[in-house]
Amino acid sequence: MKLLRGKRAVAAVLAAVLATGGTTGCSAPGAGDKSSDDSGPIKLALADAQSGQLSSLGAWELKGAKLAVSEWNAKGGINGRQITLDVFDTQGDPTIGTNLARKIASEGYLAMIGTAESAVTIAMAPILKQEGIPNITSGQSTGLVAVKSEFLFLNGPTSTTYDETLAKHVVDGQGIKQIAMITNNGSYGKGEHDAFLKALTARGVTPVADQVVTTDQKDFSAALTTIRQKNPKLIFLGAEEVESGLIVKQARDLGITAPFAGAAPQGTPVFLDTAGAKNAEGTIVSSPYLSNDISEASKSFATAYKAAYNEEAELHGAKAYDGTQIVLTALKSSNVASGKDLAEAIRGTKYEGLLGSFAYDETGVGIRATSIGVIRGGKLAAAAG
Amino acid sequence: MRIKIAVVAGLGVLAWLLPYTLDSYAIHVVNVIIIFALLAVGLGLAMGVAGQVNLAQVAFFGVGAYATAILTTRAGLGFWFAAVLAIVITVVIGLLVGTPALRVQSHYLGIVTLGLALAFTNWVTNSQIAGGAEGISAIPAPELPGIDLSSEYLFYYLELIVFALALAFGLFVVRTGLGRRMRAMRDDSLAAGALGAEVPLLRMTAFLLASVYGGVAGVLYAGLIRFVAPESFGIANMFLLLGMVIIGGRQSLIGCVTGAVALYLVRELLSDHPTYAQIGYGAVVVLVVVFAPTGLAGIPPRLRGLRRSTGEAARLQPFQPYEAGASGSDEVILIVDAVKKQFRGLKALDDVSLSVATGEIRGIVGPNGSGKTTLFNVISGLYKPTAGRVEFGGRDMTNVTPYRLSRAGLSRTFQNLRLFGDLTVRENVLVALDRSRTLDSWQYVLAPWLVRARDRRLRAEADAVLERFGLAEFAGQAPKALPYGIQRRVEIARAVAARPRLLLLDEPAAGLNGEEVRQLGEMVRSIRDSGVTVVLIEHNMGLVMALCERVTVLAGGRVIAEGTPAHVAATPAVIEAYLGDVMEIPTEATR
Repeated sequence: MKLLRGKRAVAAVLAAVLATGGTTGCSAPGAGDKSSDDSGPIKLALADAQSGQLSSLGAWELKGAKLAVSEWNAKGGINGRQITLDVFDTQGDPTIGTNLARKIASEGYLAMIGTAESAVTIAMAPILKQEGIPNITSGQSTGLVAVKSEFLFLNGPTSTTYDETLAKHVVDGQGIKQIAMITNNGSYGKGEHDAFLKALTARGVTPVADQVVTTDQKDFSAALTTIRQKNPKLIFLGAEEVESGLIVKQARDLGITAPFAGAAPQGTPVFLDTAGAKNAEGTIVSSPYLSNDISEASKSFATAYKAAYNEEAELHGAKAYDGTQIVLTALKSSNVASGKDLAEAIRGTKYEGLLGSFAYDETGVGIRATSIGVIRGGKLAAAAG
Repeated sequence: MRIKIAVVAGLGVLAWLLPYTLDSYAIHVVNVIIIFALLAVGLGLAMGVAGQVNLAQVAFFGVGAYATAILTTRAGLGFWFAAVLAIVITVVIGLLVGTPALRVQSHYLGIVTLGLALAFTNWVTNSQIAGGAEGISAIPAPELPGIDLSSEYLFYYLELIVFALALAFGLFVVRTGLGRRMRAMRDDSLAAGALGAEVPLLRMTAFLLASVYGGVAGVLYAGLIRFVAPESFGIANMFLLLGMVIIGGRQSLIGCVTGAVALYLVRELLSDHPTYAQIGYGAVVVLVVVFAPTGLAGIPPRLRGLRRSTGEAARLQPFQPYEAGASGSDEVILIVDAVKKQFRGLKALDDVSLSVATGEIRGIVGPNGSGKTTLFNVISGLYKPTAGRVEFGGRDMTNVTPYRLSRAGLSRTFQNLRLFGDLTVRENVLVALDRSRTLDSWQYVLAPWLVRARDRRLRAEADAVLERFGLAEFAGQAPKALPYGIQRRVEIARAVAARPRLLLLDEPAAGLNGEEVRQLGEMVRSIRDSGVTVVLIEHNMGLVMALCERVTVLAGGRVIAEGTPAHVAATPAVIEAYLGDVMEIPTEATR
């Protein structure tokens, strides 16, 4: 019985070997070629975390990108061809990102939107470069520029821009020198900490306190008490929406009256709700997309977004919307080119977007400024001057 | 055997031809799967084989990858030199992470290692040298003369060779002495220690193996992806890895590999349907845990078990007595001198002294709670006495660890059987027979043929032991499925297989029927005749009277009488002690 089973197994293995051997011959592996389709829909890929901790970012991105694609499709597509947008889930994991980059390449997508996590994008960049697939990312790390891929574009300013603009506003503009910092040790908070510190140092300012908290901390009284003793005129805040809200709330409870300043998370409704409008009053925000009613374009975007998804538009959706618009514009202007030609077309695209005027240089950065806003009466409004 | 070789060769050819059938996406996924399979094997060795809940495997992976990245990009070393250093660094970290295992076990160890894994991602996110959240990109591709390893197809072959070697080595470890000892430790670390397994060293070995596999996987990852970032080595991946090992069957390395391949493929197939991916992935884990707790690897044996249930049952054969060897001398082998043992307020042993002559059969009797087993535990090193000393074979052995005592020639059985449940009867005996040192495990790397030869010799010896104890027909069975009486005999065979000079039997007759008790008496006498001194705790007075030359009576933690059975039975203090506890009146139990 056992012998019989063994023999059958050997036969099966041999058959399988013959089958694989027979179909291939003796060339080196990997000599296959992929077909690129000139008719049918234009295929765009969106790679983002659709599951896991960062899935909320991915969901916003998807909504923004989808909105752009459906607008173009409603207008008849490009050269009479409809555009499809397929979603790939990176789970926020660089390794999966590399899998997806290979997959996107092998399935003949012309360009990729995403991802929202810089590390995942950096992991994917070499493969996308090798395969010649232009990629507009929502990441904003300076590491993206360091990759030096001519196929990689950012749909917003780099993180240093946020903090540089902020430092310029508060130090150069308002003359505040007594600044405390509170940041978390996660990837976002650490990036903010380093960028803002660099911007301060360049201006000869040393923060009076530099407190680091963890990403899942809920009680910040120790760090805030230290900050209170230094009596700062401004507190720089580098943390995600909810944590930032909690920090501001607890600071007010401790009697700290100095205003806070930070980047995009501090301008969101989530932050406002967590902190309470009264506590958040006077918070200075550096963001390329201050609010939905900052301009005519943002108003119509927000209306369309609300109509499509029944929720308020926000920064990440706006960024993905801009990025997708740029890719589609480039596709149209290049007559649906692919590979290097498409990348060059994107680089040549001048685009007036929700975030500002895009004009790409060789680094892949298309927008180099943010706006400063201040929370007044529970609303984020552009700062005067 | 020939069939096995044919299957392995067939799989090898298949693996060699595999890239010809894959596109660039599929080969990339295969390359990643191999890395995860390597990690799963490492985790399987630590967790499934050695029973060390190691939730830091993903951190070992990360240390290997980050070390390679830092050494190549920051220090400018060549890839291969950096790779070797990276593995060394991972091993050092692995041993550090493993040190808590010396103090805590099971889920406590899991929490500690998980904490250390979190600390790792936290450190790399905030460290300048590790590139912070942006990670380290542009790691140079490994170079081999004539082979372009930046091609993922050719990198596959590098991975394949490394993986085949690593898997073969892992299987070799599991199936020979070192792995057997680790499995014994997993099933019952106390009994393993009492049989000479150096438990602390074995636990560190488990972490050493896990970190080597983690380090190798990390190096391959750095060479393949050429980018490292904290997210790649996060907790989500640790749980994925855990899922692989649990689904595959943690006690089988092949199972771990199967689990890694299966789970990763499921995950990859579902990547087009992100909404269902989580549900599908979770469902697979739950289904396996509920319906196949031993994992995929446990399914074939279970099916075979169903089919075989009609087969004829194995039978116990009679014990074959030893030829009479060295006869008794007047030398004293064991001296217990004024030993005290206090558990908080309770004095379990109070000034107990006794000495046992070589070649004697000594009985230790006394009512329940009189301190008999405590005395055994002190002698065999499981308890440290509060005061007093224990001398064994002319040397002071107070506070010596159980495994050192075992290696010095002391062997014991337990009141409640402590067999290694997931090892076969033969392997139970092999653990005791194998007196090689864990420190000699370098042979696994440098002289595997020595290990192989020794193992073959041990197997023959084990079969001889089983033959003598009439257990040959049970050799391949799991002890927990056997009748109680046979389990008792397996435990005695195991204790004797350690070739002790002094054998401690803790209630060997408990739960045995009359005939079995008679056989036991015969066995113990023959073991003594072969030159082993025996001390036994027993409630069965018939057996004690018939077997023991001298009897020590304990009551309330003190020695109240000592002498020949007849003398002791007539001592008023003994009668009083027993009458105080009516249930323990000596009865004629051997009928």
